[in-house]
Amino acid sequence: MIRFENVTKMYGNDVAAIREASFDVPKGEFVFLVGPSGSGKSTLLRLMNRQERPERGTVWVAGANINELADSRVPYLRRGMGNVFQDYKLLLNKTVFENVAFSLQVIGRPKHVIRQQVPQVLELVGLADKEDRLPSQLSGGEQQRVSIARAFVNRPLILLADEPTGNLDPGTGEEIMSLLDAINRTGTTVVMATHDHRVVNAMRRRVIQLDRGVVVRDQERGVYE
Amino acid sequence: MFARISYAFRETIASFRRNVTLSAAAILTSAVSLLLVGTTFLIQRAFDNLLVQWRGDVGMIVFVRPDVSEEQLSFIKQTLEAQPNVINVEKLDYLDRAASFEEAKRVFAGDRTTLSLLSVETIPSQFKVVPVTTDPTLVRGLADQYRNLPGVQGVALAEDEFEVISTMSDFVRSVTITMSLILLGVAVTLIWNTIRTAMVARRNEIEVMKLVGATNWFIRIPFILEGLIQGIFGAIVSCGGLWVLNRAWTSGVAGFKAGTGVSSLVVPGSYVSGVMIILLVVGALAGSIGSGIAASKFLDV
Repeated sequence: MIRFENVTKMYGNDVAAIREASFDVPKGEFVFLVGPSGSGKSTLLRLMNRQERPERGTVWVAGANINELADSRVPYLRRGMGNVFQDYKLLLNKTVFENVAFSLQVIGRPKHVIRQQVPQVLELVGLADKEDRLPSQLSGGEQQRVSIARAFVNRPLILLADEPTGNLDPGTGEEIMSLLDAINRTGTTVVMATHDHRVVNAMRRRVIQLDRGVVVRDQERGVYE
Repeated sequence: MFARISYAFRETIASFRRNVTLSAAAILTSAVSLLLVGTTFLIQRAFDNLLVQWRGDVGMIVFVRPDVSEEQLSFIKQTLEAQPNVINVEKLDYLDRAASFEEAKRVFAGDRTTLSLLSVETIPSQFKVVPVTTDPTLVRGLADQYRNLPGVQGVALAEDEFEVISTMSDFVRSVTITMSLILLGVAVTLIWNTIRTAMVARRNEIEVMKLVGATNWFIRIPFILEGLIQGIFGAIVSCGGLWVLNRAWTSGVAGFKAGTGVSSLVVPGSYVSGVMIILLVVGALAGSIGSGIAASKFLDV
């Protein structure tokens, strides 16, 4: 599903955010990207959704070489991906329903599809009774669940999560991880960058560890360390 | 497709509401600059009416009596053509009574009294003379000579009648065109800035849109529509201003005595309508160009 072949990403001329990274993520896998701040976890995610391009090497996502992907094709690549962020990135003037519906609206899905799919995914994340609330009326965990619902409503092949539990207390973080686990069990590949050793150690899934842009560990059923 | 169109319109209206003050400023600036563009057209047309008789470097007009005989007419023509050192013979033009009457309709556009006294039968025909010499005394001497020819009703010299107006026309045209171009640039910049501000204010939304797979055109179109509407609203306001201005001008000119020549400055309604269409097109173009540039440049907010 995702393949990195000797990928190097530079910021400026002499700062390498990622150096010679190579790994494969098969369809349906759950992968943690771990490492200290500035180790390159977020850059890896940004390379996967083509917010960045590598200077060297090749990134393959869902069969497409994203280095060679024309700018006009990038939106179509992204329609097969969901993105979850530490700061949720919810639209504060829209309700829960509207935030989730937004990602279907902007890719031109008709109203009847939106009316059918949004309640389904809100049910999945446990917010069916809060669809008319504004983000400011929700807790942090609930806001993150809205963000996950928005990322998943289009049933993406890949879900990229950047520190999704970073702003949450441990209990709420566990709820979010259960949700991501449930999404992964539907066949969606999940790649999650995190600092949170508790969730990594509890889940025991594949761990790719980065240090100053270099992949220093790639372990099946790993722990944080 | 319908979902996308309705989304674009809803977003355009919502963005318009969010930026009411900036949008109003953009509309007003467009309106002022377009009003100046329109006024330039009207001033030009008014001066053209005054100078229509003298278009094409005509320096002298020999008016021929309506009851002139064929022999007299050909004698006048031969006399004019016999002066190749003073007169550009190739450019010598004869306007018969029908053509002269059409021209008079523009010259006396605002002077209905004079116009009602004229007809194809009573109007003099005319020779338009382009001098080759720059020496005004030579042309004036020739004019005195022609006044006495049989069949000639009178001779008019550009120097006496419209030299000052012609110079003034050129000056006014340069000033108004320059000012309207500058103001049009200001209007485009202001529309550009309004759209830029709207995009920066909505950067989170744009980022989410891009990450969920919206195409750049889908994101841009509501912003371009917003600029287009600002340009068109500005043009509509300027059209209203132009209509009021022209009405005030027409009634002001009507106060002058018939035969003073000032009546020529009246601009007909059909011409004003044409100018309004031009203003609408220019407004729409200015709006979409300003917003189009901003919407492309600031897509990576």
